[in-house]
Amino acid sequence: MRKARVVVIGGGATGVGILRDLSMRGVDALLVEKCDLVNGASSRYHGLLHSGGRYAVKDQEAAKECIIENQILRKIGKSCVEPTGGMFVRLDIDDPEYETAWVKGCADSGIEAKQISLDEAFAMEPLLSRHAVSAYLVPDAAIDGFRMSWQNVESAKRYGGRCLTYREAVGVLTENGKVTGVTLRNNITGDEETVECEMLVNAAGGWAGKVAKLAGLDVGVQPDKGTLLAFNQRLTSHVVNRLHKSSDGDIFVPHGSITILGTSSMSIPDPEDTSTSREEVENLLAIGEKTFEHLRDCRMLRSFAGSRPLYIPPGGEVGRSASRGFAIVDHKNDGLDGMMTIVGGKFTTYRLMAEKIVDQICAKFKVTTPCRTAEEPLVPEVAPEKKQAARQYFPAYGTDLAATRLGPERFDKVVERLEKDPESRELVCECENVTLAEVEEMAAEFSSFQINDIRRRTRIGMGTCQGNFCALRSAGVFAKYGKTPGAKDTLGRMKEFLQGRWKGIRPVLVGRTLRETEMTRALYELSFHVNGGEA
Amino acid sequence: MSDTKIKQIAPEEAAVFTADHCLSCTSCMSSCPVMEATKEYRGPKLVGPAHSRMHFSQEDEEDSLDFCSNCKSCDRACPSGVAVSTLNMLQRGEYYKTHAHSQRDEMLAHGEKMGKLVHSLPLGATCANIGMRIGKALGIFGLFGLAVERDMPSYAASTFKSLYKNISQKKSDKKVVFFPGCFINDNEPSVGEAMVKVMQVNGYEVLLDDKFCCCGSPMVVTGYIDEAKEHADRNVERILYWKNQGVPVVAACTSCSLMLKKEYEELFNEAKMKQAAANVYDLFEFLDILADKGELNTNFQSVSAKLTYHVPCHLKAQGFGVPAASILRDVPGVTVELADAGCCGMSGNYGFKGDKYDISMKIGEKLFSRIKEQAADSVICDCGTCRLQIRHGTQAKACHPVEILAKAY
Repeated sequence: MRKARVVVIGGGATGVGILRDLSMRGVDALLVEKCDLVNGASSRYHGLLHSGGRYAVKDQEAAKECIIENQILRKIGKSCVEPTGGMFVRLDIDDPEYETAWVKGCADSGIEAKQISLDEAFAMEPLLSRHAVSAYLVPDAAIDGFRMSWQNVESAKRYGGRCLTYREAVGVLTENGKVTGVTLRNNITGDEETVECEMLVNAAGGWAGKVAKLAGLDVGVQPDKGTLLAFNQRLTSHVVNRLHKSSDGDIFVPHGSITILGTSSMSIPDPEDTSTSREEVENLLAIGEKTFEHLRDCRMLRSFAGSRPLYIPPGGEVGRSASRGFAIVDHKNDGLDGMMTIVGGKFTTYRLMAEKIVDQICAKFKVTTPCRTAEEPLVPEVAPEKKQAARQYFPAYGTDLAATRLGPERFDKVVERLEKDPESRELVCECENVTLAEVEEMAAEFSSFQINDIRRRTRIGMGTCQGNFCALRSAGVFAKYGKTPGAKDTLGRMKEFLQGRWKGIRPVLVGRTLRETEMTRALYELSFHVNGGEA
Repeated sequence: MSDTKIKQIAPEEAAVFTADHCLSCTSCMSSCPVMEATKEYRGPKLVGPAHSRMHFSQEDEEDSLDFCSNCKSCDRACPSGVAVSTLNMLQRGEYYKTHAHSQRDEMLAHGEKMGKLVHSLPLGATCANIGMRIGKALGIFGLFGLAVERDMPSYAASTFKSLYKNISQKKSDKKVVFFPGCFINDNEPSVGEAMVKVMQVNGYEVLLDDKFCCCGSPMVVTGYIDEAKEHADRNVERILYWKNQGVPVVAACTSCSLMLKKEYEELFNEAKMKQAAANVYDLFEFLDILADKGELNTNFQSVSAKLTYHVPCHLKAQGFGVPAASILRDVPGVTVELADAGCCGMSGNYGFKGDKYDISMKIGEKLFSRIKEQAADSVICDCGTCRLQIRHGTQAKACHPVEILAKAY
């Protein structure tokens, strides 16, 4: 039987942050996640590392937390943060008084907001609407949720931390009002197992209420759906925010090779609901095109949605006005010793949230090791000389991105493959520049159960053609290198992968996206005949 | 002049923005003649549109960008209107902002300067031609990185501009300005003479403008993008001057006409270039418009000629059909068969590069064998460097279609 002193439920930003912090303080910890990491709100979001500007008027506590955490993450997360900088832009239709309040709010919260001339703003962001009337630079940045989460786990592993994906908590074991373990179901095989533990941390985000129920407890979490749009190109070089009272669809984030626009805010009953509709897409476009007038000329790749887990204390508010703050609930007060829930909060402050709850856990365990998560980098960087030496094997513009995705050890292994086998330098994903060697390396990871798991680690299928060319190739690679028995089912894995892409494409099926999809359909349904039946 | 005063084409209408239109469909790769000839070129889709999404990640350059010949087959193949080759040429220009040019490229990009120098000396052309033959025999071209297998195009005894002065034209209210380009002016002025004759018979007086300079095409393809921009500015200013006078500009070299009509605005993104483009015609495009209006003089004499027509890539890229074929077919005694064999492989100065010679000849194989099969009296082609390649690859005679048409009047 597996044992761990602490089991953390939920592989979102909060969960991985807690796993890392516990491990670094020498507390034996296991993270369990029912899907792949960051399957909830921690990847289904903008990819924005807030400067705090967004909260400068309404919630200065949050704003201050953001700017501090922003600076920490820039320092410790060089392989997952892109310091793009941010711009706040007020349009002629926006309230000038809000600008005044915002400038003051930023100053009061310690956020440097530097006003720039409109000419400078247009030079930095050529597609920006000429209805802009004022612009400020703030230290926003982009952060990749996939890389950030795995890098937290990698960091934890160096200190003995463990992580199991596709393991869902289905039961909480108690004895005399105290937690003794947790029952896990393997969501790939259906097998169940029990893990003995002293402490259970419920960091299940939108699912925190459901996990609490396993122990007969009640935690008020309102899943609040946010829908986002991904565009095919970097439309902006900065994070561009509308300078007005926070609203739907007013932030653009340059996220790697794409741009993400979002988001909406809608209370929904079930956090599993990540569907998006044509109507939501239309609403986002209608708002987004105020800031970028020619937005509809830009190719949409897909829409996606995630649920913010808003904590609702008894009698609290819901929706956008609900607190973006976080709460730590010690269920000892509800009569169950050894279980805590952490809920709410923001991606940007995940590290701080983890620090706070781990402080409480350590106090219980009488562990006095201080938190060091703000000082030590998540992962070591690949040395510049190594990148330079390996450049000859990578496609142009592909070395640095591969290095930040892989980290030093895997980078060395991939470079070795590339060096030995020139064929492995071919691209599996032409849109995101991913080599066969890198896909082979990630396909062989124990955490790869589906092609989608490889996708999140490498970015295959996330670019222009949305899997059109890499689905077939990656299914072949996975069958050859995958460690899970299901990898051999190439047709099943390929269709599963394409269906995942299709889910996000369907609501944006207009213009060039429609043409692209018809090509995919012609390739897979007609040429490859993947669905069988009558031609 | 302050750059901020120049009216730019709106960013969402700029050629670089077309990278976003790419569906990654691979049509460009399957129609790229260079890719067919060598595996070393990664292909238009990956180099142009795909990389445009990745430039953010690091300072880098595509090693195989050098293989693109700017033949524009990819642009034509693209069902989504992506300016693929222009994206490549912009990247090449960017590369040479921080990298030194070879002496060879210096030479290949500046044919105009060489031509001017040669023709400014007494007996300059004769001496230069002898000199080039000696240079070739001594292997000096190879040392420069030029294709040793080729003869450099020989200089004509007199430039078109000097010959033009001796042509007595009928005055007319209908005028065109001729943009001869470097190759017709320095190497094959007979094309210019035929052009004047044809225009005269059709009631047009042909003007020359000394202020026109090289269109810049040889500079763009060798990465001298800033210099090409200077040429664009000078030429565009003159084209707009003639536009205001109501006088169209006509070129008889399809690479020149493509540059003036399309590539300037794609590369340099200025609104004035788009305006200027509307006043530029390729010669047979212009004659075709006359034919459509019933204004083309069709009082043809019989000319006995069996012709193979190699349509240049840069003509195809202009999308006005193949009017030379239809016009010449109306000349009694003339038969025109299209070679229909893709790119000739020369692509301006591409085939002159030593390391590209084999690729250039491999691309041309299909055309060469088609020409041999058809065994025509002459090959016609609107592009000067294609004609050089045809002569080099087949020993066939090659001339500009207007030289045949001139015989019919």
